[in-house]
Amino acid sequence: MNFDRYKREISAAIAYLVLLLIVGIAAPSFFDAGNLGDLFINNAPVLLLAIGMTLVILIGEIDISVGSQFAVASVAAGMLAKTGMPIPVLFFLMMLIGTVMGAVNGVLIGWLKLPSIIVTLALLVAWRDGLRWTTEGAWVQDLPPNFQWFGIGQTFGQILIVGIPLVIFAVFVWSLRNLNLGRAIYAVGSDAEAARLAGIKPQKVVFGVFVVMGALVGLAALLNAARFNSIPSNTGIGLELKAVAAVVVGGTAITGGRGKLIGTLIGVALLGTIGTALTFLGINAFWEKAIQGLIILAALVGDVVLARLERKKK
Amino acid sequence: MEAIRQTNLQTEQPLFAKLFPNNEWVLLIVLSVEIILFGFTGNNFLTAGNGFEITRLAVEIGLLALVMTLIIITGGIDLSVGSMMGLSAVVMGALWRDAHLPMPLAILLTLLVGVLGGTLNALIITKLRFPPLIVTLGTFSLFRGMAEGLTRGIENYSGFSQEFLFLGQGYIFGLIPAQLLILIVAIFGIYWILQRTAYGRSLYAIGFSQEGARHAGIKVRRSLNIVYILSGLMSSLAAVIYVAHLGQAKSDAGTGYELMAITAVVLGGASIFGGRGTIPGTVLGLFAIVILQNGLRLSGQPAELAGILTGVLLVATILIDRISRQAAAKPKREFLEEEEVRNSQVGILSAVILLAAIIVAGSNWMLVRSIRESNSGSSSPSSSAQNQTANAPANGKKSVIAMMPKAKGDPYFISCKKGADEAAKEVGAELLWDGPTDLDPAKQNEVVEAWITRGVDTIAVSVENKEAISTVLKKAKDKGIKVVTWDADANKDARDLFINQATPQGIGETLMDEAARVLGNKGEFAIVTASLSAANQNEWIKYIKARLAEKYPDIKLVAIQPSDGDRDRAFSETQNILKVYPNVKLVMGIAAPAVPGVAEAVKQSGKTDVKVTGLSLPNMCKPYIKEGIIDHIVLWDTGNLGYLTVFVSNALANGTLKKGDKQIQAGKLKNIEIVEDEVRLGKPFVFNKENVDNFDF
Repeated sequence: MNFDRYKREISAAIAYLVLLLIVGIAAPSFFDAGNLGDLFINNAPVLLLAIGMTLVILIGEIDISVGSQFAVASVAAGMLAKTGMPIPVLFFLMMLIGTVMGAVNGVLIGWLKLPSIIVTLALLVAWRDGLRWTTEGAWVQDLPPNFQWFGIGQTFGQILIVGIPLVIFAVFVWSLRNLNLGRAIYAVGSDAEAARLAGIKPQKVVFGVFVVMGALVGLAALLNAARFNSIPSNTGIGLELKAVAAVVVGGTAITGGRGKLIGTLIGVALLGTIGTALTFLGINAFWEKAIQGLIILAALVGDVVLARLERKKK
Repeated sequence: MEAIRQTNLQTEQPLFAKLFPNNEWVLLIVLSVEIILFGFTGNNFLTAGNGFEITRLAVEIGLLALVMTLIIITGGIDLSVGSMMGLSAVVMGALWRDAHLPMPLAILLTLLVGVLGGTLNALIITKLRFPPLIVTLGTFSLFRGMAEGLTRGIENYSGFSQEFLFLGQGYIFGLIPAQLLILIVAIFGIYWILQRTAYGRSLYAIGFSQEGARHAGIKVRRSLNIVYILSGLMSSLAAVIYVAHLGQAKSDAGTGYELMAITAVVLGGASIFGGRGTIPGTVLGLFAIVILQNGLRLSGQPAELAGILTGVLLVATILIDRISRQAAAKPKREFLEEEEVRNSQVGILSAVILLAAIIVAGSNWMLVRSIRESNSGSSSPSSSAQNQTANAPANGKKSVIAMMPKAKGDPYFISCKKGADEAAKEVGAELLWDGPTDLDPAKQNEVVEAWITRGVDTIAVSVENKEAISTVLKKAKDKGIKVVTWDADANKDARDLFINQATPQGIGETLMDEAARVLGNKGEFAIVTASLSAANQNEWIKYIKARLAEKYPDIKLVAIQPSDGDRDRAFSETQNILKVYPNVKLVMGIAAPAVPGVAEAVKQSGKTDVKVTGLSLPNMCKPYIKEGIIDHIVLWDTGNLGYLTVFVSNALANGTLKKGDKQIQAGKLKNIEIVEDEVRLGKPFVFNKENVDNFDF
């Protein structure tokens, strides 16, 4: 294995191992199977969003509307489920709803070439306030009994909620590496003009990536909602920052063209573990946000330090 | 340097094009449309008083947006400004109250904090060369986290001197808000820096091309350092004004302001890629947003429309900008045609998007409406209540009652609104229901200001923060508007009556006593609260702790974890509590959305010996109460609270209720007792397995 190619991912992994080590010494009960299982389940939907966000950032764009999209999709999931449709159809429709929301981004950013941060900022506000307006904050309640855990029981439901994102993760890792489409994403992110001259249609790639992001949001919303028996309409606030932070901590360059999904996985794990780890360490919850910020900055600084060390060696 | 000045100023152009090089005139049209439209639909929109009031609300965001313009011109961004406001606010409060420093010195040191924070951003961005987006995303968490950590989320500094408060609440010549002067100075100052100094021109050069700027002899790093430090400084200044405006300093100051500032800048024609942007544009962008919010409020339109319209406006302005630029650029680049998107295509695409958005929104709306109707099910208030309108007292004009919840989207307040609507129909009053979408004391002030301008008969507020709102409520009273508080009180002299459903002490003690009963007077328990800075919850926790110390020596409170009013967060926090403190036998959720999350976590853990209690709504918790996971929840009849509030408000407005009255005949609630200046709804109610089916809210 070529370590050089993975050095950014490795620095994130080291940070994660240090965190695990500290928690392991101070509070060994953290490593109970039950706790690890809960961590997996709680972060599985975030992983889906982070996969999509990795693609978006790889092509040099950003999507800060995912939290609001997530809320719209969650409420839609609940309302569709109440019509009593079978679960597989529900899965399909949720991906479709996500796809439509992603396509709105995709058209504006890919085809009309508007800056993604502005478009998604506009939609972040618009989707959220639109949802507030229509639901007036009401929760979706009285869901059919087969909604929670998809009606296959807690254990199998949990396996599905963790399993689907992991399978999707594997598929995306493979496709990014081996499919033309995957390579096209890196090409567009590195230099859209060069990619165009090489015969890639950048606007199609950009459109496609945002559509995929949307579909993943729809899926994530459904998997998240299925852990409960009601759906709050204020869900997903701040989720976009969580996803972006996880991707960046995982070593993907915000300027596009460089980064790996394996890093994103580490990023999700790292940021998803901090909150729980702090509780286990008995650190007051007041400091959680500050520590989260420090870890993002530390990941950046650590990266530079590693690079400098390497230069010295040479 | 002269060369740069030449290329950017394009000196040959007429004044109009010079002032608005980026199609900012579009905003002038938008602004005129807004003003004309709201002039017709809004009450008292077109008055000098309202004009100045609008500017008062724009000052803090305006200050942030001005420096944000500079940053965006260099191709950067600063997400940490809102968090820096939070940190600065609590530092100032602590220096003044706890370190007993004189106010001017405290302000000076606070500004220094801003400079330090800005320096931190600048160093990481220019020395380590990381993209500003990521760096400031990190400090966005860091600064807010420090503010929360330093104050444990609870501290709320207030009681500032009148001289200091003048800065944010006073009027010069009885009309011009004091802080407006600061904004005007800042506008001209930054405009001058940007347009008339070599430094300002260098920012454009950097935005076009850092490398090119370097070759032209510009010290790129130094220029960037200055702009980020300036941003930190301006955030602190905005925080000082914010504190003076609200009369309180808390760690949540300025939450979300970074997005508002960025929106104003981009709306004002600045390119997010750098090299383009003007101060006049930003100012126009700022007022386009602020007037939209204010105008919608005065026209009685839902506040959420502001968000949707702002989003549409953002996309529309950059789209128009793009189309006009393409039209201008076309003749020169004909040979690049294959990549070009034709205007007609743009038009069709936008039409399709708009259509899709309308269809999605429309169908969503229909679906939700239909489901909400079927949810409320058995009771059919709409039809029967409408008939009753005819029975309304025909004593001349309809009174206008403006009622504000702490947060519009909160299920608790939605259930209050049901009762309020019912009462409004019964007494034949017009009910305005508006408030912040999330807990936000600054927004509450804004809404009350708008109501004063609009002219209403009674204002009824559920107060998020006493100190913040009391001045503006007093102002309403001075203008002859009746002021009522409900759910949570303001300072006594700021209102006529308080509709008291239960005192914080009563709530805290009931929660603790009931929990102790479930625990059998011994064992460990934990609390899941709303956000760590939630004023109400902190008040309850205070009384819970006091009761605990006084009556229950064998019970131990082991943890207080935040949920931010998010069900999912409450869920995972409870999972952690159950694992870290295995002896916990009871988890108490003290925010309505938290309790179902807590209950679900306990249920999934399989720990049958752990009970859940707390303060929440019966409908939300019904399944868990029936399963025996939630032992009980404590609350009052929220619908009746809303009902009573409207009844009392109406009686005050038409003079049937006067000071010193000992009781009021409140419709279906019959005789309600008034003690001094408090209307008592009754005692908190305990909902459990036996009685929960009798309630639907």
